[in-house]
Parts: sequence; structure tokens; C-alpha cells
Amino acid sequence: MAESTDEIVMENVKKGNLTEMSVLFERYHLRVYNFFFRLTFDMDVSQDLTQNLFYRMIKYKNSYKSEYSVKSWIFQIARNLHADYCKEEKRSGELFLKTEKYTVEPADDTEGFHEDEYERLERAMSDLSVEQKEIIVLSRFQGMKYEEISEITHQSVGAIKVAMYRAIRQLRGIYFKQI
Amino acid sequence: MKCDEVELKMIDYLDNNLDSGVRREIEKHLETCESCLDELKESQQILNFISKDEIVKPADSLRINFYHMLHSEINKSEKKSKVQEHKPATPWYNNSSYRVAAGIALLICGTFIGLLLHSGFNASLASDELKQLHSEVSDLKKTAMFTMLKEESSSERIQAVRYVEDIDQPDQNVIEVLVRTLNTDRNVNVRMAAAYALSKFADQRMVCDSLVKSLSLQSDPILQVTLINILAERKEKSALKPIQEIIANRSTLKEVRAVAQNSLRVLI
Repeated sequence: MAESTDEIVMENVKKGNLTEMSVLFERYHLRVYNFFFRLTFDMDVSQDLTQNLFYRMIKYKNSYKSEYSVKSWIFQIARNLHADYCKEEKRSGELFLKTEKYTVEPADDTEGFHEDEYERLERAMSDLSVEQKEIIVLSRFQGMKYEEISEITHQSVGAIKVAMYRAIRQLRGIYFKQI
Repeated sequence: MKCDEVELKMIDYLDNNLDSGVRREIEKHLETCESCLDELKESQQILNFISKDEIVKPADSLRINFYHMLHSEINKSEKKSKVQEHKPATPWYNNSSYRVAAGIALLICGTFIGLLLHSGFNASLASDELKQLHSEVSDLKKTAMFTMLKEESSSERIQAVRYVEDIDQPDQNVIEVLVRTLNTDRNVNVRMAAAYALSKFADQRMVCDSLVKSLSLQSDPILQVTLINILAERKEKSALKPIQEIIANRSTLKEVRAVAQNSLRVLI
């Protein structure tokens, strides 16, 4: 059975064939969940946001325009959801308390990678601006090209490179200062 | 090349995105500039840390909630298209499903009035009558279901299946009709609704067995996923074999296979 591209699947969803959304869910939920998780470091929040994302895709299916890839449309929605979440968090004044709460389990100890290094990286990440975090997550965790990120964030590739460079510089500053 | 230029190109340098001329210039600068070399090493370390980070797995409830949400969205859109279908030709009171619904509504009203009238009298009498009325409502819903399952439009058949969800103790007959719907209805959404209705009674051995059996009959991806989820949620060991067959089947969709493999974690 030939695999349909995301774009064909999404066109079918637009035509009212909602069951096809399950294909996009299976293809994207892990990536989207991890996108939210790298930004919020909160599993429950990430799950809620992921849930909302797929709900929005169905609700606003007609706003999908075929000139974008489905992938960048998904991450555009994801960014909006995250922005809404940040606004809400700011209102309830929890933004700075939250980041200390969660600790990620180390991936494998054999390579000499220790838990406190993860924690330190997380804390350093939480000091970056939302835009900087998004660019790092999209480019590094999600392995996207600058061109793809540009389609999602509506910024030029040059601007993204500069933002990336500044983010890494800042991260370096925070991270190595902590030692 | 100056320090600030090198700094700007550092990430591209580490990502190997520069042509050899620029690379050489940077390397030449790095030979003489210790602070840039330090920065490069630190950046490298940061990038390594970030890309080494593991993928975090969400809880299984994410998938289950998604399929519930999708299911109810599909029902909503079916209902909408049904209203549109019927608008031009037939007035609403000619539609059999509305008539049945109106009948049920009247009966429920009657139940409440009966309850009110009796509340002043013997309480046990009232509760007996209530029970009887309740079972009459149940019977009526059953009849409605059998009638409506024969309807042309898939949205009415879905409605029929949903009546069952209100029946407390569906009898053998009702279960059999639901299983038949799950396995043979021509519309995938009706089959889905039947799967969800049956899942509510999956505590009954017979129901659970027929869900497992249905798994090897279904070829539609969304039904395979729905059934796998229902059975995995119940940790139903007897589903192991059909799920393994789905994994082994070469025509199984990649996404379904992923769900199936995922479910093995709970089942094995």
C-alpha cells in the first residue's frame, strides 16, 4: 500500500473524511509532544497542548492552505498554542516556579552523561526567550532545516541564524557559569 | 577573519554548512585566537548536549483521548450533514428517527410526572412503577435501535448504535446486533460507533471475545487502531494473537503497526 503524503491526507480531511486525521496523529503526535515538552518541561501540560493541537486541526481544517506543508502548518498551530499557554501562565504567575519541578531521567549512563548536566541544561534553557527556545527546539530537537523554520515562524533564514547564534551564545553563558 | 565574524559563523561551522574556503579561514583564525577556540568548544558541547537528549514518550492516555475526541467530532459532523440532508424535502416530523426520539422524550416526561404524583404516596410503589417505566424506556430504545439500524443514512445508524449506550443491561439480542454491525456495516463510522458502544459492556466475557474476534476481521486502519486501543486499555491478553498477526501482515499500515507494537508493551 503506497503511503499518502501528509498533504493528500490533509486534503481528504478537509473534504470531510475526518477518520484520516488518525494518520496525521500517528505521524506527528510524538514530535509535537516533544516540541511542547522541550518548551514547558511539563508532561501534563505537553499532553494537554498536544491534545488541543489535534482538536484545532480538525476545527480549523479549512484554514489549511496547500501552499504550506502540513508539517509547518502543524508547527504554526503548535507555536500559537504555546504562546497562549505562556500568556496564561504569566497571568497566573507560575512561569518561574514551574521550571524547577521536573527532572528528566538520564538517557544512558554509559557515556558519562549525568543527571545534573540535564538539569543544568534545562535551567539554562528556561532562561531563554520564548522565540529563542522555539528556534533551538525546532532546529536541534526536531532536526528541522532553517528553511523549514522560516516557513513556520515567518522569519528570514538570516534572521533565524542570528537568533540561533544568540541563543547558543546565551545558553553557553548560562550553562558554563553554573559550573 | 575577525572574532565577531567567526562567532557568527560558528554554528554553521559546527554543522558543516560552510564551503571549504570559509572553513579554512575560520580554522586559520582559531589557530591564533584562544578565546574563539574556547567558544567553539563550548558551543560544540552545548549542541551535543541538546541533540543527545532523548525523545520523551507521552502517556498512553494521549492516544486514547485523541481517538475519543476524533470519534465525537465525526459524530458531530455526521449529525450536521444529516440535518442538511433532510432540510429540503421532508418536514422533521416525518423523519422516523425524530418520531422515535419524540416518543422516548414523552415517555421520559411521563416517568417524571409519575414519580412526582407518587412521591406523596407509598414510596416503594413509586419505585416499582419507576422501575417498570424504566424498563419500558429501555425496551423502546431497543426497538428504536433495531428499526433505525435498517436506515439508509449512516448518521441514523450511528444514532441507533448510540441508543444502546443508554441501556443498562443489554440482552444477548442487542449485543449480537451490535457485533453484526461492528463486523458488517458498510460505513466505517457506524462500525466505529458500534465498537465504542460494545466497549462499554466489555466486562461481559462474550462482548470482549467478539471484540477480539473482530480485530482479525477489520481491515480499515482506524477500526484496527480503535479496537487495539480498547483491548489494550483493558489489558486483554487474548488480543495478543490477532495483534501479532496485524503486525506480521505486510499490508498493515505503518501507523497501525506502530500502535499495535505499542500495545504489546501492556499485553505481554
